[in-house]
Amino acid sequence: MTEKTTIVQNKLGLHARPCTLIVKTANKFRSDFKIIKDDMEVNGKSIMGVMTLAATRGTELKLWAHGPDEEYLIQEIDHLFETRFDEE
Amino acid sequence: MVELSVKELFERKKKDLALSLISSKKTLNNMISDSQLNRPGLALSGYLDRFAYKRIQVLGETEISFLQTLGDDALYERIKTIFEYSIPCIIVTKGLTVPHHIDYLANEMNIALLSSRLTTEKLFNNLNRYLNEFFAPKKTIHATLVDVFGVGVMLTGASGIGKSECALDLVERGHRLIADDLVKIALSNDTIIGTPARDAGWFMEVRGVGIIDIERMFGIQVVRQSKQIEVQVELMPWRDSMDYERIGLKNNYVGYHGVNIPVIYLPVSPGKNVSVIIEVIAMNHILKSFGYDAAEAYTRRLQEEIRQKTLAMRK
Repeated sequence: MTEKTTIVQNKLGLHARPCTLIVKTANKFRSDFKIIKDDMEVNGKSIMGVMTLAATRGTELKLWAHGPDEEYLIQEIDHLFETRFDEE
Repeated sequence: MVELSVKELFERKKKDLALSLISSKKTLNNMISDSQLNRPGLALSGYLDRFAYKRIQVLGETEISFLQTLGDDALYERIKTIFEYSIPCIIVTKGLTVPHHIDYLANEMNIALLSSRLTTEKLFNNLNRYLNEFFAPKKTIHATLVDVFGVGVMLTGASGIGKSECALDLVERGHRLIADDLVKIALSNDTIIGTPARDAGWFMEVRGVGIIDIERMFGIQVVRQSKQIEVQVELMPWRDSMDYERIGLKNNYVGYHGVNIPVIYLPVSPGKNVSVIIEVIAMNHILKSFGYDAAEAYTRRLQEEIRQKTLAMRK
């Protein structure tokens, strides 16, 4: 099990485009992947789940993965957040 | 180049256009190579520079009454000059009496002369439609065409992916089959019309069973002869590397005869109910054509929610 806390840094928050990026990236891996915000826990491979978070800029999220390639998954997803999904 | 024989035109449209043949049967072998009709008013009055002689020439009341004003010799000369162009076919409308010399010269110079009881306007409309359809760019593609809730959905995909089985399932749910396996697609007024490639009933091959007759089995209400193609669904085996659409904000298109048709790449896997998804695709297409795009509506709401939260945090 790998966990990492990350922060939404792009201006528009987790709208449709970043959500699609997260889900598409996560689906390249075999591990289970969840995103946790406060008491809400969603499947990070489901687009509806990730969009339900409606996370704004500055929101703290916990990334959780479990499986054979969990570390790489967390690394790549965290990288997306760090690079602001190539947005402002 | 596509050509239409006068014989085929005469036999197909005899009833619709109330046609009768004046010239000899031999003239029916003439070939028409242009989808347009021409009223040879200017040619008859002597201006032949841009005479569109390859088209079907329509003689209405105006042309006939003009010819009647010519003297016998002038009429003969005028008609002979015009008939020296290889006109495939002339149609006289309203059942008007053909002026002297024309019928004789038509036979002599091998031009098909037909008479129609319709008015010029009605003949134009009806014949134009037929000729446009006949001369429309066409091609045949490996696909299955169904009418789902009134939306023409063309199923494509590799052999054995389950196009026919999917169509069968849809037919069972009360939708209609236009063509299985081979669809002839033709351009018509900036839309694409699909018809069966062969006019031989609605037969289908089901793997492991053989040939079945859809019309006999499910009744006349589940088949139709042609349908405008509005959506294409490409069935494909699931591939991890393929980037399937998740939200539906991005539309893909495929062009046929210069018309863009939205295409949906649909991964299929055993046990997945494809026909329900096809129904959903058809309904979503109807909603979109009514101006409602669910993907857009949902993402707009999400953006609004994020915006409100951001504002609340600043306060």
